[in-house]
Amino acid sequence: MSSAGGVGERGSRAARSRVPRRTILPGRTPPGQGRAGQDQARQDQAEAPARRRRSGRPGRRGPVRRGLGDGLVGWAMISPSVLLIGLFGLVPVVWSFVLSFQHNDLQTPATSAGFANYRDLVHDEVFLAAVRRTLLYTAVFVPVTLLLSLLAAAALNRRIRGMSVYRLAFFIPVVTSTVATGVVFTWLLDPAYGLVNTVLAKAGLPTSGFFASPHAALFSVVAMTVWGWVGFGTLIYLAGLQGVPGDVIEAAQIDGCSKAGAFWRIQVPLLKPVTGFLTVWLTINALQLFDEVYVTTRGGPLNATNVVVYYLYKQAFELFHAGYAAAMATVLFLIIALVTWAQTRLARDASTGGRS
Amino acid sequence: MASRPVASTWIATRGRRLGALTASTLLVAATVAACGGGGSGGSGTADDPTTITLTHGYTDAEAAAITSLVGEWNTDHPTTKVKIEFNGGNDNALQKTVAGFTAGNYPDVAYEFGSSAAQLARQPKLIDLTATVASPAFDWDDFYPSEREATTVDGKVVGIPALVDNLSLVYNKKLFEQAGVAPPTDSWTWEDFRAAAKKLTDPASKSFGWAYVNDGSEDTVWRYLPLLWQAGGDLLTEDNKAPAFDSAAGLAALGQLRDMVVTDRSVYLDTGNQNYLNLFNSGKIAMLWTGPWDLSSITSDVDYGVSVLPGYQGNHETVSGPDIYMLFDHSGPRHQVAIDFITWLTSAKVHLKFSIATGDLPLRKSETALPEYQTFLQKYPGAKVFVDNLDNVRHVRPNIASYAEVSTAVGQMVQSVLLGQAQPQAALDSAKAQVTSALSQHS
Repeated sequence: MSSAGGVGERGSRAARSRVPRRTILPGRTPPGQGRAGQDQARQDQAEAPARRRRSGRPGRRGPVRRGLGDGLVGWAMISPSVLLIGLFGLVPVVWSFVLSFQHNDLQTPATSAGFANYRDLVHDEVFLAAVRRTLLYTAVFVPVTLLLSLLAAAALNRRIRGMSVYRLAFFIPVVTSTVATGVVFTWLLDPAYGLVNTVLAKAGLPTSGFFASPHAALFSVVAMTVWGWVGFGTLIYLAGLQGVPGDVIEAAQIDGCSKAGAFWRIQVPLLKPVTGFLTVWLTINALQLFDEVYVTTRGGPLNATNVVVYYLYKQAFELFHAGYAAAMATVLFLIIALVTWAQTRLARDASTGGRS
Repeated sequence: MASRPVASTWIATRGRRLGALTASTLLVAATVAACGGGGSGGSGTADDPTTITLTHGYTDAEAAAITSLVGEWNTDHPTTKVKIEFNGGNDNALQKTVAGFTAGNYPDVAYEFGSSAAQLARQPKLIDLTATVASPAFDWDDFYPSEREATTVDGKVVGIPALVDNLSLVYNKKLFEQAGVAPPTDSWTWEDFRAAAKKLTDPASKSFGWAYVNDGSEDTVWRYLPLLWQAGGDLLTEDNKAPAFDSAAGLAALGQLRDMVVTDRSVYLDTGNQNYLNLFNSGKIAMLWTGPWDLSSITSDVDYGVSVLPGYQGNHETVSGPDIYMLFDHSGPRHQVAIDFITWLTSAKVHLKFSIATGDLPLRKSETALPEYQTFLQKYPGAKVFVDNLDNVRHVRPNIASYAEVSTAVGQMVQSVLLGQAQPQAALDSAKAQVTSALSQHS
């Protein structure tokens, strides 16, 4: 076993001796904590009968009736939200699904289309290319954003003077309007007058057409969206990092672990649930990419940035093929559901089945 | 088309955040954000006037002018009331109007791009104006031919012209002087234009002779059309059933663009964010093909001239993209009030007031004969060429529902050539196939 691994093992044991595991990250056990996890499991088992006894008090009907009343009150309290979400979330989803089986131009009476819209989709080269492009975008955008967010969070997770200013600086892109970001990036990346190309030329490097080049446009959009999302990722990671107790790191350092070692071997594994959440969140957003394309390239040049939601928008609101666009929305919904399911599944496997 | 890319409008129309709940809510998002409506039948008395709404995308001087004219109407017609509502920008006027129908909340009168006419012509609530304009009092022939054609779909008059424009050549006089190039004339040929653009280009100072909007949208297409028409070609066949641009003329037009953009590198390719106007203002671009709406955005330190487009064998024709008012039926007296109001608003005397306030070109030929027209010319010296250039509008874009698809195919054709991704003939062939397929699906 390598020394770093040994440090991790010892570090976590030291942690266990000082803080109850459960207060760190309930239900999740980082690698190298096998025994701690087993102890936890035993403790849970020991508690279980006690809980059963408490709730199973015989001869009293009160709690049952009160439970029903609680339920009603609870439902009453959340009903405004449920109603609103139902109205603005569920109804459109269902309506969109119905629409996908129609020929509908949003103006004249719709006619039934059966599965024609879905059949057309399979043969629509532009749509298939848009799906591939969206997946490529997601495959680049998500890991890059995760890594940069993690590094930024690590850099910001310390006590130095003026830290709040730095943290704010990282978060500003998140609250900046996409339109403003789009205008700024269009000028920065302008092939003839942009700052980036000027700097590249001064440094003797090849320049690029960026948004104007069919080869570079998608990656320019990646750069712009990463810039916009890193602040969000950093915020979440920072919260996660601050939840890692100092004792764990301290213990690792007592055991002779380097700072970098403690970061990659202890903090990053402890952040796994945070990474899992961010991955799902960023993936869903990446698959729904629209705003940034709308304000910069409008799907061009030559479809180079024509992602699924942009193509959907164009079909629905420029060509008024609403039924066809709704079919696309359904397919995208299924893709997102599938990818999200796979990711949560993977994350769970990694956190529960990763140990042996 | 006549989009007015004022910065504020641009931001207002493009600043759309889409909910992250599911992609499918997108379809309904615009539907829920209903616009317009708000009228009432009333009893047609001063106490309870018949109220109609007009949705528009006017900003700045135009917004002030329409507000003042509507005020005038409301004062003179106490039994009726016109309410005006800003639609958030004309770029999305069609989308919002359609959404309004879905939500059952639509305006009596809507300002629309001419290219939306065929889409909205299908709308069951649309008021057919064929009989209205046929009345001698209306004097329909007083409107320019391009306006009349833009508002006619399948022989039916679907709207009243709201704005007329055309593309003319706007140039920076100082840059021509500095480069020792003679300014454009009425007899400029394509070769003269190309040679001048080349001389006005300087890679060291990043100056370009001309700018071309190359985002593949209608903005790209409608600068290609005058070239195509001048060379004797047309976009579609007479019956609008098949593509006709895959011709010697279509090839010549694409070749001219390619020679300038790819060979000479004398053209700044705008990616669609209307950067060209800022660059023209800072003296980086010497010539633009643009409409009168850009004149008010040219800064006062730029001394500019306006000329007709360069021509092909003496043909200097240009393209016009009239915007229109479309009227939608609500039960009762509102229908007639809407017709009366728009008839009044587009009458020669009233519209000339609007032109004087805004710099928009006269809608009716008779406006140029009114005494106040001299005031207009004095106030907007650049407008004279644009008004005269209306006589150079001989073709209109096909008024068919599938025009958006035709435009997409042609836009990509031009774009692929200008980006050096395709040879002109190959691009023509591929666009021809796409247009053929788009047209066959609709017939």
